[in-house]
Order: sequence, then structure tokens, then C-alpha cells
Amino acid sequence: MAKAIPRTDVLVTVMGAPHADDTVTSVLRLLQAMLTRGARVQVWTCGYATLLTQRALGDSKPRNLADWSVDYPTTATLVRELLDAFPETLFWYGCRFCSDDRGATDHLPQVVMRPPARYADNVAAADKTLLVGVI
Amino acid sequence: MADSLAIMERAYRGAVEKQFLDALYLAVELHRQLGGLDLLLRGPAVSYAATGGEVGAIQIGNRKVDVLTDPRRDLARLQESGVDVWVEEPDLAPFGIDPGALLPGVRTAASGEMARRWPDYERVFFL
Repeated sequence: MAKAIPRTDVLVTVMGAPHADDTVTSVLRLLQAMLTRGARVQVWTCGYATLLTQRALGDSKPRNLADWSVDYPTTATLVRELLDAFPETLFWYGCRFCSDDRGATDHLPQVVMRPPARYADNVAAADKTLLVGVI
Repeated sequence: MADSLAIMERAYRGAVEKQFLDALYLAVELHRQLGGLDLLLRGPAVSYAATGGEVGAIQIGNRKVDVLTDPRRDLARLQESGVDVWVEEPDLAPFGIDPGALLPGVRTAASGEMARRWPDYERVFFL
């Protein structure tokens, strides 16, 4: 039997591709703001946004030749730390179809991959749904 | 004038995802490997050359992320390495940028001025 989707105040569906504009920056800031205020939030990534949580990204980006000693966290690190900071109130889902289609099959253990046909379950578990970006 | 012209029209493409590793970082390599580069900023990218903008830090979880993309810093580095930076002057006004408020050393070009110079360049890149 499928695990129930925890009830949340907001579902943020992220369809905008990373590296293309500042959608991901805005989404992470929005999540931080809502979570800090005590909201319960779930994220569903679709399309290229599923790439954000790949374990293959590692902890840090490649070295910057101009600032060799600076550590640059990957999006996987930032999402993991966000989940660690709000373990009871943040839930992260990814669309398995989109992820598989892009060869991204190994995600952070906290990320739950879901079939797109069950997206409505996530919507139903949230009081409000916000969809950001275009697939 | 360099042998290569790079034209950047799009801006703000992933401050969290790219951090330092953006199109200006590529421009550094093009300049280094190809023996010189002129850089033209058009559209929203002209705001990269405006003074006064500060890249702040954002909080994500318990981490203060202070390594977001900083195009002004990167433009200055390009200039220091010998890249001539131009902005297309008509694109400044829509973003409220006074031509007198550009970073030191940044030059303005009239509309189409750089396009007319394309035959003088061996390579033209859209970044």
C-alpha cells in the first residue's frame, strides 16, 4: 500500500529548469521563508528540476580556479541541508517519469520519487498549491 | 580590438546552481585560450555593468550561502585580465541605468555598432 502523503500547508511544484534563470534561487528562498514561519511544506519537482537532488552532484561543485579554497555547495547539498533543518515540516518529492527520462535515477535518500499519475494525491494533501516554472 | 567577440544578452541564470560557474567564467577561458576577447552586454545583461548592485547572502537551512553569482566582480576580473567590456547603450534606459553609472572602463556602443564590426572579428560567440 502506498505511503500516505503528509498534510501540508503548501505544495510548491517546481517545473523550471535549473541553470536557466533564477527560479531555483527564488524557490529556495520561498521555502526557507515559509518553513522559518512554521509552515508545513512539500515540494514536487518535475522536468529538469528533478536534477536538483541527484547524489551524483556530490557535496561541492568543481573547484573555482579563481578562488581555489572556497567551497561551493551543490543544489543536492542545499536541499539535503534544508530537509535536515526542517525534518518535520518539509517533504521533497520528485516525478519519477521526468527523472528517469533525464537519466537522473539516484537521488538523496530523503527524496521520494512518485509516479506522475499520483500527482493529484500531493495536491490533495496541501491546502494551497503553487506551480513555478514551465516544463 | 581582440580577435573574438562575445555577446551576452541573457542574464541571471541560476545564482544558486551556477554560483561562479557561469557564462562569464566561460568568457575567462575563451579570453585565455583564444588570445583575447571583447565582451558586449545587451538586454538584461547590461545591468551586470551597473555600479551599486550588491550580491547578498541567502539563508538555506542552517547555511548562509554567500557564494552566489556576482557578475560585477566577475566583470572586473575580466577587465583586469584584458577583456574590453561594452554595453549597448539603448538597452540601459529600460533598466533605469544611467550611462554615467557604469563600472569603470566599461564602454558604450550605439545600437548595431558592434554588429557592424562582426566582419572584423575572427570569432563571434553568443554566451
